[in-house]
Amino acid sequence: MSKTIRLGTRPPYPITVVKLFKKSGDAIKSQEPLMQYSFKWTKEVGDYVRKETWKEEQTTIVTWDSPADGDLKQWLIKEGEVISRDGPCMVIKEACSHEIQFQGLCAICGKDMTEVNWAAETRDTERAPISMVHDQTNLTVSTVQAQRTENDLQQRLLESRKLSLVVDLDQTIIHACIDPTVGEWQKDPDNPNHDSVKDVKSFQLDDGGPRGVARGCWYYIKMRPGLEQFLRRVSELYELHVYTMGTRAYAQSVARIVDPDQKLFGNRVISRDENGNMFSKSLQRLFPVSTNMVVIIDDRADVWPRNRPNLIKVSPYDFFKGIGDINSSFLPRRQDLLPSAAADGASVNGNGVTPKANTAIAAVAEKSSALDELASIAGADDPVLDDPVLAQRQVEEQERTLEKQIIDRPLQLLQEQLDKEDEEADKATTQSEDGSDTPPSSPPHHRHQVLRDDDTELKYLEQHLTRLHKAYYDEYDRKRALHRASSNVDLSSVPDVGRVLEGLKSKAMRGTKVVLTGIVPMGVDIAHMDIGQQLVGFGAAIVPKIRRDVSHLVVNSQRPRTKKVQQAARVPTIRIVNQDWLAACFSQWRIVEEGPYLFDVHPDDMPVEGDAATISDANETDDAGNKLPSTPVRERRILRIKAPVPRLKLVGANGETKELEDDSDSDDEDDGDIEDVEDEDVLPDDINDGQLSPIDGLKTFNWGQVDDELQEFLASGSDDDDDDDDDEDDADTMDTDADETTPSRKRKFEGEESEDTGDGTDAETTQDENTVPSNSSSSRDGTSVAKKLRRTISVADQGWADTLSRGR
Amino acid sequence: MFFLHNLERRVTLHPSYFGRNMHDLVTTKLLKDVEGTCAGDYFIIAIMDTFDVSEGRILPGSGLAEFTVGYRAVVWRPFKGEVVDAIAFSVNPHGFFAQAGPLRLFVSSHLMPDEIQYDANATPPQFTNNADMVIEPGTHVRVKIIGLRTEVGEMWAIGSINGDFLGCLQA
Repeated sequence: MSKTIRLGTRPPYPITVVKLFKKSGDAIKSQEPLMQYSFKWTKEVGDYVRKETWKEEQTTIVTWDSPADGDLKQWLIKEGEVISRDGPCMVIKEACSHEIQFQGLCAICGKDMTEVNWAAETRDTERAPISMVHDQTNLTVSTVQAQRTENDLQQRLLESRKLSLVVDLDQTIIHACIDPTVGEWQKDPDNPNHDSVKDVKSFQLDDGGPRGVARGCWYYIKMRPGLEQFLRRVSELYELHVYTMGTRAYAQSVARIVDPDQKLFGNRVISRDENGNMFSKSLQRLFPVSTNMVVIIDDRADVWPRNRPNLIKVSPYDFFKGIGDINSSFLPRRQDLLPSAAADGASVNGNGVTPKANTAIAAVAEKSSALDELASIAGADDPVLDDPVLAQRQVEEQERTLEKQIIDRPLQLLQEQLDKEDEEADKATTQSEDGSDTPPSSPPHHRHQVLRDDDTELKYLEQHLTRLHKAYYDEYDRKRALHRASSNVDLSSVPDVGRVLEGLKSKAMRGTKVVLTGIVPMGVDIAHMDIGQQLVGFGAAIVPKIRRDVSHLVVNSQRPRTKKVQQAARVPTIRIVNQDWLAACFSQWRIVEEGPYLFDVHPDDMPVEGDAATISDANETDDAGNKLPSTPVRERRILRIKAPVPRLKLVGANGETKELEDDSDSDDEDDGDIEDVEDEDVLPDDINDGQLSPIDGLKTFNWGQVDDELQEFLASGSDDDDDDDDDEDDADTMDTDADETTPSRKRKFEGEESEDTGDGTDAETTQDENTVPSNSSSSRDGTSVAKKLRRTISVADQGWADTLSRGR
Repeated sequence: MFFLHNLERRVTLHPSYFGRNMHDLVTTKLLKDVEGTCAGDYFIIAIMDTFDVSEGRILPGSGLAEFTVGYRAVVWRPFKGEVVDAIAFSVNPHGFFAQAGPLRLFVSSHLMPDEIQYDANATPPQFTNNADMVIEPGTHVRVKIIGLRTEVGEMWAIGSINGDFLGCLQA
């Protein structure tokens, strides 16, 4: 292969070619002199002592050395020519273009590429910068070679009329956890979860797995329902690749479970170890030249920043409730979850998990937040990929989360919680047929199960993939017909699958105008949120306010009473649905029948006669902004008047009973932030009838006693603020069992006080000494809080979720 | 190529091991530290015997004793042009990786006979000439080393199966 060599930037232009040492056809060696050139420069000459110097022009002749090996084909310069700037000077036939390199060695000629060649301006290792092999990072190829390999691949795919499909593992086709409870349930046929977990596969990682407590732990892998047929059918249309954020050992173990005879994935498995990036995945890692024939299925869109068009977002498979993705601790916390997925799992499927257990799930998820913060901080400022310290730290963090799962056993806790609720429900039904306390439609003599195997996503996903494949090849055939290509494969008419996918998706919800309420945090531009992008991608229009032409209002069933609901209730054409409708639409790629998702508006929010006039028409501009329409204010007043309603109840679409805060103001606020929602949930259930707010209970509180205690605390703590251990402080704020901690704390203060009074100067020095460590301990606050929190949880096994939420 | 090589190494011993069987301990530690490592150009395969364990010297500051041990070891130094037997462990469109004892080799598709082609549709993907040669993970191959590179504690090689009697081994 011939290559044109340039003179390079080093010669001091302009130069004059003096002599060419080699002629066409000669073999040339690297660093061998090939020609001679001269250049002019000025030099100060004369007597420096007497300062009688003058400038004199000098001419110097130097040689130009070959930067590469090979045969000289042709000179592009002549003797005597004056060259004013860098340009091509000769054409050579290179001995080897070093297009494939393995660990600094050229894999074609065996030369060491790390050798420094002073005649060349670039290093030889830069000739092969692309790493495109699944299971190795030290094999790199040149752009040309990458192009060639990819053309081969596309040709092969076109011949067999396939596409490439990159499959994520965790929460997309499987759900993994390491909670040992699963293993116990598998062995215990009496357990209500036995049926669900009996086909859960498990494996151990000998090496490459986590260390510490989690070492040698069992990984439990639940395959998404229908996975086997799904993969089998899809593999006829697509060539499958695995791309996971787990380690290599993990990825291979899972691949062995999902695909025991390696028919589906073969060796096309790439993991975190080879990805080269802790925070994002990139199709360019596998398909560096063209992603025109690659489709991705993943449950997270944010890890594919560069390949959104090729992505089919799958609703996350959450079988082991509250576990999440065990391999994503590195990644920033996911923003894209519809609240239903995390906290309202029961809403559509009815009798599944009761609200109380939901708070428990949320709490389990919450516990990893310190870690998430770390990850999000790291992820925020464009992570330095090669930072080994950060990487190491994150690996350790991940190990810690894994350990926590083994120790805390979140699943067991959830099941205990459920069992307890069942017992209560049993009692309630036997005592009175009041009905208000029973979870809806619960068969009383049957223990509820935490784990339910009722996911249907793959069915729809298969339909989408089949449709996409058909649309793609229709497009290809059409283009090929235009080109009138003779052969059966025509690389030039390969359409971009991203475009085809967009075209398909945008038809899915075309014509709908959607208003969201209570779903997106306030102050966040919905267009930047994942949910917004998805809606637009599916062809729906997002409308900020209720208008006459709005077709759907999506309500967060955790926050059922917003202004928008009231407004929408007055327009009969607006279908008010809960967020699961949206999830169903996203997963089925069509406007799903609203029936099962219809949202029962609170009676007080139902339209009052004569109010309908206030809703803006479609042609009105949306810039009304913060101005509140007048009607809600009036309604609020009405609500106020009948304020002391005893316990409002809302019966959701699923029949689930929900308790409402009586304070209508906070509900009216706006489609508020999600945190608000959580706060509402956290309210204790046992507020007495007729009580307006939870702090009303304080009316009967003995304030004198509290004042005394505070006084005592201030008196004793005044001089030892600094040396008071921060951990202890945290414990006090965290621990709700005040009776347990207060005596010990008192004792401690007394002891310190006596010390201090004993020797004033000594006390001062200790104080000084202690300021430093106390500072450092406060910087570790986050972890210590988490530790305390964990201890609290593990100690109080009964009603632990309540404790936790109150502690928060 | 294998050699019997006389080598020397300084072994340090923690004071808690000082005692009668000190020399045995020194030898054990030597075996543990040295066997199976890559020392520059060669791998130390096995230590035959030790001779000349020097008297221990206490290192100032740490209290460790340092012994200078002379030993004789079987070493393997791969050379360019050497033919070795290896086991393939990973196959991709650019070539395949193989392991010859401690040495990791890569054989690129350019260094194979022309009739051997990559077959991506096979399970697992393989290099094959559609006759007797099938190279997939686990296949024993005879490879000629054409390039070597070492870094501290590591060595890599480029191999070729383009030549007579190279390639798949019929076992």
